[in-house]
Amino acid sequence: MIPSNLRVVLIVLVISYFIVILYFLKEKALNLKYTLLWLVAGLVMGILVVVPELLTKIIRIFGIQDNMNGLFIFSIGFIILILLSLTSIASRQNRKLRTLTQELAILDKRVRELEQDEKR
Amino acid sequence: MMEDRKKKILVIIPAYNEAENIVHVVSHMMETAPQYDYLVVNDGSTDNTLELCKREKFHYLDLPINMGIGGAVQAGYIYAYKNDYDIAVQMDGDGQHDIAYLDQLLQPLFKKEADVVIGSRFLEKEGFQSSASRRMGINILSLLIRLTTGKRIMDVTSGYRAVNRMFIDIYSKDYPTDYPEPEAIVEAIMHLGVVKEVPVQMRAREGGISSITFKKSIYYMIKVTLAILVCRLSYGVRRGKRTQE
Repeated sequence: MIPSNLRVVLIVLVISYFIVILYFLKEKALNLKYTLLWLVAGLVMGILVVVPELLTKIIRIFGIQDNMNGLFIFSIGFIILILLSLTSIASRQNRKLRTLTQELAILDKRVRELEQDEKR
Repeated sequence: MMEDRKKKILVIIPAYNEAENIVHVVSHMMETAPQYDYLVVNDGSTDNTLELCKREKFHYLDLPINMGIGGAVQAGYIYAYKNDYDIAVQMDGDGQHDIAYLDQLLQPLFKKEADVVIGSRFLEKEGFQSSASRRMGINILSLLIRLTTGKRIMDVTSGYRAVNRMFIDIYSKDYPTDYPEPEAIVEAIMHLGVVKEVPVQMRAREGGISSITFKKSIYYMIKVTLAILVCRLSYGVRRGKRTQE
C-alpha cells in the first residue's frame, strides 16, 4: 500500500501535470491532436494514484512480482510509444517540408521568368 | 509516334556547393549539346553557386534550404513533370559525367527498350573506376539488388540517368532521400520499369569534395542496404502497376 502522504504528493503532481498541459493548449503551444496521448497518460496516472490496487492486479496478470518494477516497465513502454509517434510526426513533416521547398523553388523560377518577360 | 528530335528533353543538374565546377559543366553542355534543355538545381549551397547561376543567366531552381541530392533531383523531376518533358536526364554538377554520352543514354528510351537508363562505369571498365573500397561497396549493393529483385545492375550508385515520362511521373511523386541512387533502381524495378545500363566513362571530380567521405561510408552502406530491403518489402506486398504503355 502507498503511504497516504506519498499519495497526496502524487495527486498534487498529477493535477499540476494536467494544469501544465491545459496551459500549453490555451497558449496554442501544443496541438490538441498530439496532446491526446499525454492526456491519456495523465488519466492513467490519476486512476493509479486513486486506486493503486489496480496496478498491483494488472502487474500480477503479467507475472511481474514487484510493484515498482511493473510500474517502470509500463512507463518505459509508454515513453517508447510516444517517442516513436514523435519520430513519425517529424518524418511526415520532413516530407511536407520537402514538397513545399520544391514547389517554392519552381514558383521562384516562374516569377523570375515572368519578371523577365515584363521587362521586355 | 512522336519524332525523337521533337521530344522535350530536360537535363537536371543538381548542385550543392559546386561553385568550382558548375559554370564549366553547364557552359560545356550548352556548347556541345545545345539542343537539350537543362536545369541546374541549387540545393541550398553555402558557397556562391547561386550567384554564379544568376551571373551566367543559367536556367536554375533555387532551393532555399539544403535537402540533399534526393530532394534536389526530385525538384527537377517535378519541374519536368509540370513542364511536360518527355524525358528527364540527371547528371551531376561536379563534372564527373560527360555530356558526350547523353545520346547513348537516350537511345534505349527512343527505341522504347527501357524506361530507366543508367550510365555505367563498369560495363566496359574504362575511364575513372573509383577506389577499390568504393567498388566493393557498389558490388555488395549490386548483389543485394540482384538477390532482392533478380535484376543485374552493375553501377548501382551512378547518378547519370535518363528516364521516360512514366518515371518522370513516378519519381516526381516519390523519390528516395539520402543517397537515393540504389533505392531508386529498386523502386523502378518494383514499378515494373525496364532498367537498362549503357557504358559510359566517368571522370574523377574536377573540384570540390565528394559528398561521401570515408566516415560516412559505414552509415551509407547500412542506410542503403536497409532502404533497399524496405523498398523491396513494401512493394512486394502490393507490386506497382505500369501506369502507361
